[in-house]
Amino acid sequence: MFKKLIKESTEKSPWLFHINAGSCNGCDIELVSVLTPRFDAERLGFKLVGSPRHADIVVVTGPVTKQSLPRVLRAISQVPEPRCIVTMGSCPQSGNVFKESWSVCGPLSKYVHVDVDVAGCAPRPQAVIDGLALATQILKEKRGQK
Amino acid sequence: MFNWLTVLETLGYILIFPGFLFCFLVGLFLSGVDRKIVAKMQKRVGPPLLQPFYDFFKLCGKETIVPAAANKGMFLAAPLVGLASLIVLQMFIPIFNFTAFSTMADVIVILYLLLIPALAMILGGAASGSPYAGVGLSREMVTVIACELPLVLVLLAVARTVGSAMGKGLVFSMSEIVNYQSANGSLITHVSMIPAAIAFLLIIPGETGSHPFDTAEAETEICEGLLAEYSGGPLAVFKLSHSVKVLTLSSLFVALFLGGLGGKIAALVGSFGLSAAAAGMIGGLLGAIVLVMLCLVITIVFISLVHAITARLKVEQVFKYYWTVVTGLALLSLVLAWYGF
Repeated sequence: MFKKLIKESTEKSPWLFHINAGSCNGCDIELVSVLTPRFDAERLGFKLVGSPRHADIVVVTGPVTKQSLPRVLRAISQVPEPRCIVTMGSCPQSGNVFKESWSVCGPLSKYVHVDVDVAGCAPRPQAVIDGLALATQILKEKRGQK
Repeated sequence: MFNWLTVLETLGYILIFPGFLFCFLVGLFLSGVDRKIVAKMQKRVGPPLLQPFYDFFKLCGKETIVPAAANKGMFLAAPLVGLASLIVLQMFIPIFNFTAFSTMADVIVILYLLLIPALAMILGGAASGSPYAGVGLSREMVTVIACELPLVLVLLAVARTVGSAMGKGLVFSMSEIVNYQSANGSLITHVSMIPAAIAFLLIIPGETGSHPFDTAEAETEICEGLLAEYSGGPLAVFKLSHSVKVLTLSSLFVALFLGGLGGKIAALVGSFGLSAAAAGMIGGLLGAIVLVMLCLVITIVFISLVHAITARLKVEQVFKYYWTVVTGLALLSLVLAWYGF
């Protein structure tokens, strides 16, 4: 019973940790707008946390620059299992307009397993919520496998 | 003589009512209501009422990481010590006419036990070895010191009022304070106790570390400070003790200032003409329900409303506020009580 309770709760209380990997700040603002009264992701239990140790879902924005890559990987490795990695915007997925720049090491999927990609420059809040909801499903599945 | 029934009764007190299970359910329910009400005030839909329960169980299922720089034993023991002291504290607070443990000077025990959760958080944060926790713990210490002075003055004022009415000097027994109230009406009806009651209500958000006094856990600037390195089970226990602290402080307020309702409940139950055992049972149950309702009102007005309409203060502003406005109110009440108003 306790195990089932934990599994159900994992789906309903996903806490977000946001990493900026050299983003232009567009996606960062859109992510915050998801939590505003208009879209109110808190009704699904989403909460933005400040420490990677508290997080369930890691949201990465930006094209993963040379400077940020080691920090991104270090922050992701500090997130306790089960965790889910969501890329937000086209940058971490493909490099977007920064592709083949000398300072860009992306895409992120070269370095870690990415669970959900939310494309767009910047993605609409509806798309972000959709991607995060998908991530909670994956989180529940990961919890169930344990 | 060793009596099994007494052992069983004590275990029931510790584990079920008014101990762990009661604290767990009501505490998390109160913080769920708090989050929902804040959301409504900000014109949001808000999380479901059971959200703190989901958060708690989810955190129980997460991996617990102990940082390499941490002192492992203290890091893992601190949350349990904090929660345990809160649950013991809850048993010393009478629920109207029902008291689990009663001694000569519970008020002083309560004062000490109320300090332990904050100290446990400071110890745990210090043991985690994180610089964010370092900033958080210095702020938490300042907040604790800021709240402690007016709290002591409020408790002294209450002890003096009840003591002078009973001709005993100072009364430090919670059950005597509550019994006095159920016989002679709530303390809040005394002129001298009104400033103390207001001061106590203003202490509640400071003691529980909610807005605008949450400098120690400022999640937007120092990543929840003391909790920055915690994950999984220990974090869940810390979140739980946060919620239980709201329940503890609001039930302490009810016991200190609204204890007169106990007499009304006893009279109401007595009017049904039941046997003594049944009347005690129903009275206790009714008392618990009334207590939860009152705690709900206190939480909504003094935690949710204050949270929704204020922004976070700086730590020196918190200190100044408590040592001027709140201490002034408590001191006024103490002086009035001393001269017998």
